[in-house]
Amino acid sequence: MIVKLFASSGPSVQVASQQVFTFHGVGITNSELYGWGVILVVICLLIWAARKTKIMPGKGFVGLIEEGVSFVMQMVENAFSRPEVGRKYVPFFVTLFFFILFNNWSELMPVIGQAFNHGGTPLFRPWTADLNATFAMGIVTMGLVYYASVKESGGLKIYLRHFFVGSPKNPLYFVIGLLEMFTDLTRVISLSLRLYLNITIGMIVIDVFGYLGHYIAPVSALPFFLIEIFIGALQAYIFTILSVMYLAVAVNHAHDHNDLSHEEYLTEDKVPETIGAESGSLSTGNA
Amino acid sequence: MIAVTEAINTAIIGKGLMIGGGFIGPGIGIGLIGGNYLQAVGRNPEAAKFLGQALIFVAIVELFGLLAFASIFIVK
Repeated sequence: MIVKLFASSGPSVQVASQQVFTFHGVGITNSELYGWGVILVVICLLIWAARKTKIMPGKGFVGLIEEGVSFVMQMVENAFSRPEVGRKYVPFFVTLFFFILFNNWSELMPVIGQAFNHGGTPLFRPWTADLNATFAMGIVTMGLVYYASVKESGGLKIYLRHFFVGSPKNPLYFVIGLLEMFTDLTRVISLSLRLYLNITIGMIVIDVFGYLGHYIAPVSALPFFLIEIFIGALQAYIFTILSVMYLAVAVNHAHDHNDLSHEEYLTEDKVPETIGAESGSLSTGNA
Repeated sequence: MIAVTEAINTAIIGKGLMIGGGFIGPGIGIGLIGGNYLQAVGRNPEAAKFLGQALIFVAIVELFGLLAFASIFIVK
């Protein structure tokens, strides 16, 4: 391991994680290595904060964690038309929020980059700056969303029904419904790409401006460093609220439709209407 | 006629065009979101607490600019 103080040959731009060493034939990449470290730190910090929590609002770090938990809780309860349904899923979203937040902020630690390397490849890389990691996160989140919305709407058939604006027997609405289903599947990609690109490009921008500044690198990179603190928190918020919205829209929709008399809704001789026109109780503004 | 003897590295031009063109759309989009948000707050000041939802749309729009930025690294 060599520690270099000044970058001599341009900014180091890596868009993908690299393998650092092999462990029993399994390649360990630098993002995995750092990711596991951050996971351990997050688990320890949150368990410590949970032990310290009392009825009175805490101070310092514990207070911040409590603020974050109540923030996510408020967000989930506002999104659902029936808050007691949403409250069941609060632990998952709180975990997601803090996990992404700490992984994003781990990008700003001084160990990131070429300074600590192992045979030329950087030893540490933030976990969210790896497309594999964010894609896995997107798959897990959307898997939970699909499972929960099928469960809450009371059956696969009723859940699939909500993709169709009118009767599925009408060819036009059938095709539109299929397109809606396909659009639903792209959410995994858009969730994961957004997080990955924001964090990776933040890293690159800090690298580039540190290189441009040369001897005064700390000063020239400082504005982008501060922006990255903001963007890290914003991306954690956006990932969380988008997954809350995906879940809430599917669940609220199923509840709204269970209230309607289904048989009348399905008849073909009636002119199919839009959702807003027929259900007087259009879910008015979450949050 | 002057013969061009040096080969021009067109990849550099391509990267410049990609990043310049790719950020036009998100720039306009974020401007529209911010402008309309401010207009809405001006008409109805109680709507100011919905800033979080405006930020979601900023993130959705921004993704396309980031895609353009990321794709300059695969041009050789």
